[in-house]
Amino acid sequence: MKMDLEQLRKTAAEVVSRDDVRYLVGWKQGTYGYRVAPGFIEDAAGAAELIFSPLCTANLATYLTLAEQLPVPRGEEPDDRKVALMVKGCDSRAVVQLLVEKGIERDDVVVIGCPCPGVIDADLLAEKYPETEDLAEMKWDGEDFLLIHGGEETKIARDELLAEKCRLCRYPNPIISDIMLDQEVETWELAEDEGVQEIEGKDVDERADYWAEQFEKCIRCYSCRNVCPLCYCQDCVLDRLNPTWVNRSVNFSENTAFNIARAFHLAGRCIECGECERVCPANIPLGKLNRKLAREVRDKYGFEAGVDPEAEPFQASFKPDDPEDFIL
Amino acid sequence: MSAMLLNKEKWPEFVKMLAGKKVLAPQADGDAMRFAAVAEGEAPALDYNNTRVPPKGALFPQTETMLKFQSGSEQVEEPQLDQETVVLGLRPCDARAMAIVEKLFKWDIDDPYFVRRRDLTTLVGLACIEPGMNCFCSSVGGGPASTEGLDMLMVDLGENYLLEAFTEKGEALLAETKDLLEEAGDVQLKEKEKVVGDAEQKIKRKVDTEGVPEGLPGLWEDPLWQKVSASCLGCGTCTYLCPTCHCFDIQDETEGFDARRCRMWDSCMFDEYTMHTSGHNPRPTRRERTRNRINHKYGYYVDKFDVIACVGCGRCTNLCPVNIDIIETIRQVKEAL
Repeated sequence: MKMDLEQLRKTAAEVVSRDDVRYLVGWKQGTYGYRVAPGFIEDAAGAAELIFSPLCTANLATYLTLAEQLPVPRGEEPDDRKVALMVKGCDSRAVVQLLVEKGIERDDVVVIGCPCPGVIDADLLAEKYPETEDLAEMKWDGEDFLLIHGGEETKIARDELLAEKCRLCRYPNPIISDIMLDQEVETWELAEDEGVQEIEGKDVDERADYWAEQFEKCIRCYSCRNVCPLCYCQDCVLDRLNPTWVNRSVNFSENTAFNIARAFHLAGRCIECGECERVCPANIPLGKLNRKLAREVRDKYGFEAGVDPEAEPFQASFKPDDPEDFIL
Repeated sequence: MSAMLLNKEKWPEFVKMLAGKKVLAPQADGDAMRFAAVAEGEAPALDYNNTRVPPKGALFPQTETMLKFQSGSEQVEEPQLDQETVVLGLRPCDARAMAIVEKLFKWDIDDPYFVRRRDLTTLVGLACIEPGMNCFCSSVGGGPASTEGLDMLMVDLGENYLLEAFTEKGEALLAETKDLLEEAGDVQLKEKEKVVGDAEQKIKRKVDTEGVPEGLPGLWEDPLWQKVSASCLGCGTCTYLCPTCHCFDIQDETEGFDARRCRMWDSCMFDEYTMHTSGHNPRPTRRERTRNRINHKYGYYVDKFDVIACVGCGRCTNLCPVNIDIIETIRQVKEAL
């Protein structure tokens, strides 16, 4: 599959020129090397900055709820125009889940779908092809990735760089969209979730030891929470001081309280975009934790987050005939 | 200043001779490196680029317990700081950051925790040979072999480390380990110059800070802050990984009947950072917070202490989840001047 950048930019320019669209959030070339940055496009000219490539790992759906609501000056009307958002398959699940939870309204957003053959793992890329100051590009090239840097093209096998979340991805095509930028991609054979299998292979004590070692590293920067499109509480339990549910002290006990709170608040809500693990400066394998919980919810309750806009939110639905046979 | 040579084969013995002190050194943690206490009998390998989390916690721990008390008791216990510590192999930028931060912690009063820890700690640096992608130390007053803040500097000369002491503590360390050391000669000092010169050449990115500290106040309402902060997630990665960021909060915490007063790292990028009791926040959005982060490093600190509070380690840029790049930000500031 090849993403036609001209088509993408043309479509984006049209969308952002609409009277009912405030700005568009998409991916643009970053400041150096392979880096890609979120781009906030406000006019048709700005659309020329947009890209879509195997480097576009970030899930931009987080900006739907992250946007700050500033006080409206007296005599002015609030700007309630739509936000346009570029989404991959996984990102679109965040939009769906936000709709399910009524975190956003369908009319608030123009979804521009980008069918996605899979993105790269930036750490793997930098390890094998060291970063440079001059800008590099990447493309999908049949079954492979193509790295374009300093006038040279390097073909890299897909398996070599494919991100873990993509190896496990069941939804490469956007589930929801107003405009689809390309033809759907074919789904691929899924890898075994070795990370979750590793956890499941441990007994209770081993699991406790494993996570103790991981959580001990946490520096509580909250980048995992802030990057998450589904962590959008206005008043987060972690920020409360009165009462203080989780102390600010960085130690095993508080770090564990934080990490468990984060993971459980996302059970049945996490859409497995892998952003938390990608941004963690302490290298904590948060994806394993999230995917394990997602698997539990799927197996026990038959619910999968972010795939059906009409679904009832898993943690907020109630059935009088619920067997409740797990309650002791 | 004395210059000595340590054959690398004797490195494990050198580390062993520090027994009795707490030794912090970079250690592998999956793909990344981090500073951790060295287990007895182990000798950390020092061939690494830099750690993700800086060693600033050696002097300014993320959580410092100031006192402990119990419900129903009037007794207050102050933890004693008496652990002698050696930090091995920290990068010159990180040591320089400690010297910069010390200016604040020794400013109006001597901060008892930071100053005491500094007195108890010997900082043994390792000159950089392979600067990282976003290193720009030489643009902000440092260099791959800067000695500011260090008690001793090691330079990798292949078979040997060249050891130079700059303080009493550094000299004491050389004296303690003298059986392992040989006198260094002019040849090695020349070699050092070459190694350091080569490293300087390898620094890829540069920042021009001329006029930035003076110009920042005039850019207070400039649209650039909106632009720079548009994608900011408001997480603490840039500040917590910054070796010079030193903001803290003090909170009382309880666990059952036990209570403690702690001082912990805080981050100007968090939305409750300057939240007033009234609910008013003078930095209501990420625009003001981003502006504060840059102004604090490149403006206020220069006004007060005559030094830029950024050592060019590149961590904030390396690990920002959304590619907010301090080198690019300073370039944009220059452009707006």
